[in-house]
Amino acid sequence: VEKIAVPAALPNPLREGLVEERIPEPATMVIFGASGDLARRKLLPALYSLTRDRLLPARFAVLGFARHAQDDDSFREEMRRGCDEFARRRPVDAALWSAFAKNLFYQQGAYDDPASFQRLKARLEEIERALGLPGNRVFYLSTPPSAFAPVIRSLGQAELAPKPAPGKPFARVIIEKPFGVDLETARALNRQVHEILDERQIYRIDHYLGKETVQNLIVFRFANGIFEPLWNNRFVDHVQITGSETVGVEGRGGYFEQAGSMRDMVQNHLLQVLSLMAMEPPVAFEADGVRDEKLKVLKALRQIPESDFERQVVRGQYAAGSIAGRAVPGYRTEPGVNPASTTETFVALKLFIDSWRWAGVPFYLRSGKRLPKRVTEIAIHFKEAPHLLFGRRAHMVRPNVLSIRIQPDEGITLNFGSKLPGPALEIAPVSMEFRYGTSFGMEPPEAYERLLLDCLLGDGTLFTRGDEVEASWSWVSRIHQRWAAESAAGRTSLPAYAAGSWGPEEADRMLAADGRAWRLP
Amino acid sequence: MSNDQPQNPGRVSHLPPGTPLGEAQLRPRDLEKARANFERFARGEPISVDVGEIERELGSLWQQASHDGGTGVVGRAALWNLVIPARGREALARTKALIDEIAPALPVRAILLCLDDAAGGADLSATIESHVVSQPGGGRIVYSEEISLFGPPGAEAHFGAMVRALQVPGVRTATLWMDASMPSTLLVRELLPVTRRLIVDTSSCTAPMHLQDLERLAARTQPRPVADLGWLRLGSFRLLFAGLFDPPVGGAPLRAATKLVVRHRAGGDVSALLIVAWLGQLLGWRPLRSSETPDGGLRFALERADGGSVEALMVPGPGACDASAILAIELQSGRDEYVVTRDAIDEAHVQLPIAPPRAVKLDGYSDAELCEAALGPRGRDSLFAQCLEYAGRLWALR
Repeated sequence: VEKIAVPAALPNPLREGLVEERIPEPATMVIFGASGDLARRKLLPALYSLTRDRLLPARFAVLGFARHAQDDDSFREEMRRGCDEFARRRPVDAALWSAFAKNLFYQQGAYDDPASFQRLKARLEEIERALGLPGNRVFYLSTPPSAFAPVIRSLGQAELAPKPAPGKPFARVIIEKPFGVDLETARALNRQVHEILDERQIYRIDHYLGKETVQNLIVFRFANGIFEPLWNNRFVDHVQITGSETVGVEGRGGYFEQAGSMRDMVQNHLLQVLSLMAMEPPVAFEADGVRDEKLKVLKALRQIPESDFERQVVRGQYAAGSIAGRAVPGYRTEPGVNPASTTETFVALKLFIDSWRWAGVPFYLRSGKRLPKRVTEIAIHFKEAPHLLFGRRAHMVRPNVLSIRIQPDEGITLNFGSKLPGPALEIAPVSMEFRYGTSFGMEPPEAYERLLLDCLLGDGTLFTRGDEVEASWSWVSRIHQRWAAESAAGRTSLPAYAAGSWGPEEADRMLAADGRAWRLP
Repeated sequence: MSNDQPQNPGRVSHLPPGTPLGEAQLRPRDLEKARANFERFARGEPISVDVGEIERELGSLWQQASHDGGTGVVGRAALWNLVIPARGREALARTKALIDEIAPALPVRAILLCLDDAAGGADLSATIESHVVSQPGGGRIVYSEEISLFGPPGAEAHFGAMVRALQVPGVRTATLWMDASMPSTLLVRELLPVTRRLIVDTSSCTAPMHLQDLERLAARTQPRPVADLGWLRLGSFRLLFAGLFDPPVGGAPLRAATKLVVRHRAGGDVSALLIVAWLGQLLGWRPLRSSETPDGGLRFALERADGGSVEALMVPGPGACDASAILAIELQSGRDEYVVTRDAIDEAHVQLPIAPPRAVKLDGYSDAELCEAALGPRGRDSLFAQCLEYAGRLWALR
């Protein structure tokens, strides 16, 4: 195979003035695990929608890589079906798809086989030569976590991921979650990855961070002068963060048995949302500025004392029940699940951030499967007014709540009390609501669209850095250790909750003990 | 209809659908108080248009939309006050159609100012309408508003005050100035003071000399940006051409360019001139002289930053083309050529020395999409002002 000579190219002056277009340089995206669900449901539909929105360069190729044997045409057909079903911009434009599909390719291979990676390298060079591509490459690891390290090692051995150098093509690697299963495995994986890659080349993806409202959290806090002065322990009574799902394990019983809600949702999604919500203003809206501040929050999470563990940590497991009028089975009877499983499908936490800003403010987090509603939101409960004027009607006054809805119906709501019209002094809660769909008349892009584009542009702001991952595992692993100790001692406390309820009563009691209650999102 | 597509905007109007906008048909919501006030003005008395009445009527339309919607909350939204002057009923109808297209994607309070030469007397009237856009599932409804003010020639002196009164407070105001037949005093005296973003369309300039007028106007609006639909129309071509010099090619061939040819449809001189200006500005070419070519085009002699010479040609010709009027951009650097050629309205091929020629889709934009872009970050392109100034210098060489 003829090697492409890649001289250090002079900068392209015509890119000036096209900055607002946010169109990356020509590149090839290699998707490892291309025969899997994520590629078909999320990645290719996202790339197609980006093409439709004119956000990808004219010279762009995708090379799928997996163990499964298929050719370019069958890969294209499979991805077309995925786009037909899942792309945000539907129906798929036949002419556009035809042009897009010409640059989709497939290569069969094994993740730990050096010969497969040599063939991959040859194929990449052939595609780049044919399409006039500069050798910029993004490798997307949409594989089982066990393949992360072998793939990266193989990339290194094949010299497919050289360290960044000025004027040279880029090589970036997107790694799906979960990044490790505890602190030790996350550290080990970071070490293995860093043997091959520079941290600037690594994009650990958490699709929650690609959601418009999560990004808006930063704008909301730091572009509006009225909120930031209230964003502290002087005015905030407590914060509730909910990430609830109506689905069960959906055929992924084997995976979920190993993960549980704490690893599946809390360690990544909810702690990332928490850190964005609670961080100090970054010095600039750029990758390391934001990630430095998030890291400080994660490091400031107070370890839960042994003595308070049962008052601050509740887990549960769903039993049979009903969701949306349909009877659903209990967790232990789901396929792939141990009938005596002690894996949590629900977790509720009370935690504190030991910082000047948040001292004494409890943060309540909960996440679960088979809850009544799919919703992710942050609810900031403000303190009551210091003195209520309204005598016996004071009970009608509710503290203000600012809720930030991450999914679905992304938006922000502020509740406050208002006088009811009429001669009597009656007070009722009302809400001011902002929704993306209503105010902007447009659907926000899918999280994967934003994140893939950011990676191609080299913007790591919405990706998780290695030290953030380790800091969140450091906090979460203590809880797992405690649960392991309880299990070893035969003292596992895992209350059941009916599918379709908001979790076990113990979670309600946790807040009731503080004189509070979970908000119904 | 796909579930992901917003439904067409529902226009809640006080005029029956299809009703021509004649004076007689404006009756249902012509505003008697405004009329009375204008009559007072015509007698030499100061007028006071009752904008409170308009706001109250808009409020009741909103409430009506909430009741009719049957899905709970109807959001009343405006990201911009968008002022659009238009002369005559045909131009107004085109403008209304444009607002119909913009409303689903970008809620605005549209304030249309129509000078109607056919109108008799010194009458002033208004209509109000709303746009209701339902999203899939009916859960999201956007409601935006449209106010049309009509007056005979001469009424433009009072449009400015009405616009100031009808702006949604705290919301930025943009003026879309597309109708060159409107009196420029309306823009300069009445609208510019309240305009945060001026949007023009150089594609409608009948001669490049209008670019100089526009340049003076742009200088006057500083530091507020001027967005140009014509410039945005050139975006697809500029992007494709710029992409030729991404790595591994890089900027070296641009720095050593010897010849540039911009092929354009006859009448598209303004667009072609902006393309030459774009390259000249970014590559630091110094304009030296110009001459006309036998085929009706223009030739410019330019000097590169390193002292070398560049010849730039604007060549008119036939060919399928959209409103951007650009057919091809060809750049010669040494023996190499870098070319983007339009093959059809939405197709082009790119040619560069390191790869075989390749067909690409050429994006086309509707006027509504361009307006949305002009109201977004792409409407703040400071490079446009620089290229406008450069184009003026090129034109002055003639």
